[in-house]
Amino acid sequence: MIKFDQVTKRYPGSDEALKNVSLNIEAGELVFVTGHSGAGKSTLLKLIAAIERPTSGTVLIANQNISELKPSAIPFMRRRFGLIFQDHKLLYDRNCFENVILPLHINGVTGLEAAKRVRAALDKVGLLHKEKAMPITLSGGEQQRLAIARAVVSRPSILIADEPTGNLDASYAADIMAIFHAFHQVGVTVIMATHDARGMSASQNRVLHLNHGALNHGELNHGESKIEGSAS
Amino acid sequence: MSIWLNYHLQAIKLVLARMHNNKLSSFMICLVVGAAFCLPGLFYIGVDNLSKLTDHMQNETEISLFLKLDASADTITKIDALLGKNEAIKQFHLVTKDEAWQKLKAKSETNDEASDAVNQLTKNPLPDAFFIQAKSADPESLETLRNELQSISGVEQALLNTEWAKRLSSLLALGKKIIFFISVLLAVALLVIIGNTVRMQILTQKDEIEVSNLMGATSNFIRTPFLYAGILYGLFGGLLAILMIVAVVQLFNDSIAQIASLYSSDFSLALFNAKLFVTIIGMAIAIGWLGSYLAVSRAIASIIQVQKSR
Repeated sequence: MIKFDQVTKRYPGSDEALKNVSLNIEAGELVFVTGHSGAGKSTLLKLIAAIERPTSGTVLIANQNISELKPSAIPFMRRRFGLIFQDHKLLYDRNCFENVILPLHINGVTGLEAAKRVRAALDKVGLLHKEKAMPITLSGGEQQRLAIARAVVSRPSILIADEPTGNLDASYAADIMAIFHAFHQVGVTVIMATHDARGMSASQNRVLHLNHGALNHGELNHGESKIEGSAS
Repeated sequence: MSIWLNYHLQAIKLVLARMHNNKLSSFMICLVVGAAFCLPGLFYIGVDNLSKLTDHMQNETEISLFLKLDASADTITKIDALLGKNEAIKQFHLVTKDEAWQKLKAKSETNDEASDAVNQLTKNPLPDAFFIQAKSADPESLETLRNELQSISGVEQALLNTEWAKRLSSLLALGKKIIFFISVLLAVALLVIIGNTVRMQILTQKDEIEVSNLMGATSNFIRTPFLYAGILYGLFGGLLAILMIVAVVQLFNDSIAQIASLYSSDFSLALFNAKLFVTIIGMAIAIGWLGSYLAVSRAIASIIQVQKSR
């Protein structure tokens, strides 16, 4: 599903954010990306979501090389993903319902069908009773849940979350983690960057540990290794 | 098809809702567009009506053919026959020197000074004259006809009264050129104004553009509402311009009717000029669209660039 082959990413005027990373993520996996701040977690996620292009190496998403995608094809590639950000990126000029319906409009789904799916998504994250509320009136945890509803409403096959629990206290974070686990249960590939280990301690999941842009070996809690990171 | 239609309807609804929320500033923008279109529009109406007026007058031009004072009755019949054969002449009539003399006397009776002057004349100073209406109103063919008539023997002078009309129509041609340049300048100004307005709107909606882009919205999807905003500014601005023009024409028509009645004419400015109005609205919409297209394309490129370099 997602394959990195010796991927390096360098931003202009700075060090390599990712060094020679190779990895393979299968459909339906739940993968945690950990590492200190500045280790390249966000860069890794941006490469997966086709927001960035690698400086060298190849990134294959569903067998498509994102470096060779035409600019006009990138929007359609992105629709495979549900993106969740630490800072939510909600739109504060419209209510919860209108926030969640945006990806459906982008996908060309409108009318009753769209409304039904928005309510289903809001229900999944427990915000159905707040559909008319403005996002600014929600608590931090509720805003993050709203962002999740928005990410899943178009039924993407891959969920990408960049530190979704970063700003939340423990009980909210546990709620959020439970929601992600629920999506994983129904077959959605979930890739999550996180610097805290609370959510993953209980489960047998794959962990990709980044250290100064390089993948470390031996962080696998499960089976055989699919990671061939270079030691830096 | 219905998805496509639905999407465009959604975009228009969204833009109308935004305009509704910012009534005053939207109205201001439309007002700027309206005023900018009103100016050349009014100028055009003025020139257009003047040129209609001169056309009208040129149609009525006569050639006056004054014979030599000593022209004999024989010469007059000869010329009469010549004119009758000329194909370029629609109709003509003869005013003999005696008839002209009687008319002058009759006319001058109401005016003491003129009457004195006429009475002092012992001899009739007027020549025999033919008044000729040509078939064509075209200044050039009138000029050839005049030259032809001038060369007939026994003719003192052939007078064409279109000189001033010709001058006026060349002035009007100049006026039309000026309108053209004013329109071009104002169109450029409007492009910038509408482009800037849309750019400011884009800045307030930067988040939405960014988020939409991250969710896989195509550039067209992001662009469409802004294009509709430009189109609607143009449309409402054009309608405002038409309202203003109608109001101004109405205002002027009163005084024009007064002036026209002094010249015993029922001339007035045409209130509805469908061609002009359609042109104004069409141009306004086109400029609105183009202005926002340029602004939004630049803005989308820069927002996506920023997002990438982060």
